[in-house]
Amino acid sequence: MSSDNTRLRLSIVGVVVVSLFAALFARLWYLQVMDTGTFQALATQNRVRTVYEAPPRGRIFDRQGRPLVENRGYQAVTVTRFDIKDTPEVVTRLAALLGLPRPELEKRIADPRYSPYKPVPVAEDVAEDVVAYLREHSADFPGVEATAVAERTYPHGSLAAHVLGYVGEINNEELDARKGGDYRPGDDIGKSGVERTFDLDLRGKPGTTRLEVDASGRVLLPALSSSPPVQGDDVQLTIDLDVQALAEDSLAKGLEAARASHDRNTGKAFVAPAGSVVVLDPRDGSLLALASNPSYNPADFVNGIRPDVFAGLQDPANHCPLCNRAIQGQYAPGSTFKLFTAVAALRTGLIAPNTTFVDEGSYRIRNCRGEKCVYRNAGGRSYGRVNLPQALTVSSDAFFYNIGANLWFGGGPNRNAIQGAARDFGLGTRSGLDLGGEMRGRVPDPESRKKAHEDFPDKFPYGDWRAGDNVNLAIGQGDTAVTPLQLANAYAAFANGGSVLKPRVAARVLRPDGRPEREMAPESTSKVVLDPGHRSAILQGLRSSIARPEGTGAGAFAGFPLDSFPVAGKTGTAQVVGTQDTAVFVAFAPADAPQYVVAVVMEESGFGGAVAAPVARRILDGLAGHPPAPVQLAAGVD
Amino acid sequence: MATTSAAGGASFSRRDGTAPWRHVDVTLLAGVAAIAALGVLMVYSASRNLGTDEGYFLRRQAVFCLIGLGVMALAATVDYRVARDFAPVIYVASVAGLVLVLSPLGSNRRGAQAWFQLGGFQLQPSEPAKIGLIICIAAYASHHRGDLNGRRMIGALALAAVPMLLIELQPDLGTMLVFAAILLATLLVAGARPRHMALLGLAGAVAVVAVFQLGLLKDYQKDRLGAFLNPTENTQKSSYNLNQSKIAIANGSLTGRGLFKGTQTKLSYVPEQHTDFIFTVVGEELGLAGSGLLLALFALVVWRTWRAAALAKDLCGTVICIGVLAMLVFQIFENVGMTMGIMPITGIPLPFMSYGGSATIAAFAAVGLVLNVHMRRFS
Repeated sequence: MSSDNTRLRLSIVGVVVVSLFAALFARLWYLQVMDTGTFQALATQNRVRTVYEAPPRGRIFDRQGRPLVENRGYQAVTVTRFDIKDTPEVVTRLAALLGLPRPELEKRIADPRYSPYKPVPVAEDVAEDVVAYLREHSADFPGVEATAVAERTYPHGSLAAHVLGYVGEINNEELDARKGGDYRPGDDIGKSGVERTFDLDLRGKPGTTRLEVDASGRVLLPALSSSPPVQGDDVQLTIDLDVQALAEDSLAKGLEAARASHDRNTGKAFVAPAGSVVVLDPRDGSLLALASNPSYNPADFVNGIRPDVFAGLQDPANHCPLCNRAIQGQYAPGSTFKLFTAVAALRTGLIAPNTTFVDEGSYRIRNCRGEKCVYRNAGGRSYGRVNLPQALTVSSDAFFYNIGANLWFGGGPNRNAIQGAARDFGLGTRSGLDLGGEMRGRVPDPESRKKAHEDFPDKFPYGDWRAGDNVNLAIGQGDTAVTPLQLANAYAAFANGGSVLKPRVAARVLRPDGRPEREMAPESTSKVVLDPGHRSAILQGLRSSIARPEGTGAGAFAGFPLDSFPVAGKTGTAQVVGTQDTAVFVAFAPADAPQYVVAVVMEESGFGGAVAAPVARRILDGLAGHPPAPVQLAAGVD
Repeated sequence: MATTSAAGGASFSRRDGTAPWRHVDVTLLAGVAAIAALGVLMVYSASRNLGTDEGYFLRRQAVFCLIGLGVMALAATVDYRVARDFAPVIYVASVAGLVLVLSPLGSNRRGAQAWFQLGGFQLQPSEPAKIGLIICIAAYASHHRGDLNGRRMIGALALAAVPMLLIELQPDLGTMLVFAAILLATLLVAGARPRHMALLGLAGAVAVVAVFQLGLLKDYQKDRLGAFLNPTENTQKSSYNLNQSKIAIANGSLTGRGLFKGTQTKLSYVPEQHTDFIFTVVGEELGLAGSGLLLALFALVVWRTWRAAALAKDLCGTVICIGVLAMLVFQIFENVGMTMGIMPITGIPLPFMSYGGSATIAAFAAVGLVLNVHMRRFS
């Protein structure tokens, strides 16, 4: 059979066949030689699953190495809901093994805090033999696992909760913000406080196990590779457990005492819902105590917080227990601000340390037209002829009103000298404390007033800065706002001779074996130039306010051995429109060589000298080595 | 052609140079045997993790191959011209099988009414029907001595249309396309007029467009086609299948992961791997070396088939060989092409490689016909 026609037709068939085979070879070459790398990666992605084991988090110690946060390690049994949904018999078997009634086990498995794909712990502190049994019979218990768990424990309960912070499961926002970092969904992360700031040190390195998995999700053993988890580093704080406990206790007792007293003007009991205390070392900026009341228990957040507990923490009626008022609360400083007004008046040359002024109990702004021209002393008392130290001692408002008015009327750059002094001491800016969420506070000036008027014309009816505003500013009223930490840190700068320090709660990071990994050195952010003559005049005023009978803080320090442990301080009472007065007190001691600054701020609690100063006194008692006495409210002065 | 043997008195004398058994194409036989042996091994690799009995598919495929060898010997022994003379009977039997399978006697698996369940075996009548069509077209062409005018052309088309329509009713688009390929190639070689072939090509193109435009495709067919055109669009169903298939082949690289060591294979990531996607096992575990060798073996078999067509004593023999060639080439190209993403996914087995009794035995039978034509090229 060989006609030419047929030969031609067979050739056509041959050509088609050859091209089809050529196409197959070409494609095979492309896939297996040119593009093989891409697909090999895909094949690995297909079959290899990496399982992570959470490492124990680092511990947190106080200044003396006493543990504030530790871990409790134990064996837990977990159940992954998704894996047991088709095998109810596993639940029955597990209930028998754990010695639990089945309904109870089902209830634990259904814990709404966990996603269906996350292992739910159903039994803690499981005995070794149960763990061994589960491991040996893993085929009978799909979705059930026995794992070592390390869980946060707080040996001192809620002590220093705002400093320590709490830990929780990472959320999407936090995950996005840490893209490229070593964070995965389901990881624990520090949500606030030191836990948050030092999360990278504390978290450690997860253990990883690379497993081979087939198309239906079955795991092939043994694992391809695995590495054990690495415990996180420890953080040692500057906080002293004893001072912290004393500060928290004194604050709580002070608030309690304030609630038992009455506002003389209205006759109503003080609400005293909240307050805060800062104790810091003015020599290096380290915090010994940072208390905020009301507080919370960080242990509530372990393994996810119960919704009702969390709702309670968010309820406005409970005054925000999660807020750290020492760094987030912004208060008018009242008369404690007079320190900065005094510095401004002295360094502009407006007054000399011994310049006197006759305090007649009130102050009239000259050439004044308008609704408010006369400013009265708090309490309406007149103190007669006073110089600067005396004005600080008795907290003469008229003396400082006069400074505010004269600086303003003097014109030129000195018009804003008070703001300048306040800012030099760190007010109006974040101190840089190694805890998140710090507020900035506010030092008002003509520019900020203009903006405030534009933004809120109801609250700020005029947009220009007037003499009255400067008069108000001079005694720490008006829009001025400071955080308790800023106030303490500003007084620390005065106490140490002018160094504005960056306050800190962490002293060092330690490896699990105790060797230091990183040391936090004291840092100074700026320097205030203080003329020694000016400083000693102000210091004299602050000491006298505690030591002299006419001093506003004297009542609180009755019986305090000031000879051996001299204290300098200033009371403040901030009027807040619509609520009761904020009690403020800030002190440092020993006055001649300061080691401690104590600031106390108590919301709606009355006079600083009457309520806040006794709280500070009790803390200073402790710092001086005296046995702490009950908080006794003093006579009611500014 | 010189012949020395006495007509009708075929002897098996050693000196008889025209005796058919002396002209068995050993190369073709060896090629097919090698492919089938590799196929059994690959089926084992792909199926040993399926179910509890790891040797189940291995044993069955080996048995299918042995039966196939027997059927091949039978198909080679009985002179193809006898088969030609029985073409009408073969045709009626093929069509009857395809009709019966649509009745309640047939059974439905994965959406196609294409099987007779016979004890532990499934018989797929469309597989022997392929052989039937090849013999019938060859008989028809040789009856008209290669002179296919318009009327005879229509006759041939009608002849093929009946089984094709019945297969599309199952529905089994892939097998129907194999029939179309066989029809096209055999008509070309049997002497169809060039303009008729052109018209046929045009009609085919119009039919393809019409199928799309009129929405005659089933959802799973659209899904497969979508996966072919946009493989990255989704990883569900067909796209998943195609992606895993490509990953497996590319993962083999030059020398492969080693027998039983392909992770895609071992961990069952490629669905239908022991049947339609058997080529991915070769690609992953034996690499370019193995899969290239397999394609070369297929090319060898196809070349020997083409050679048999060229050497055949008569038009009937040529057309039979070209029919077998079209069947093999279309199935190889479509099956291997789909695993590498250059053809859409259809359920066509790879001859001698894919697990399955009917297809394996039919492929052996087809090669038996080629051996038959080849060894009788002098008689």
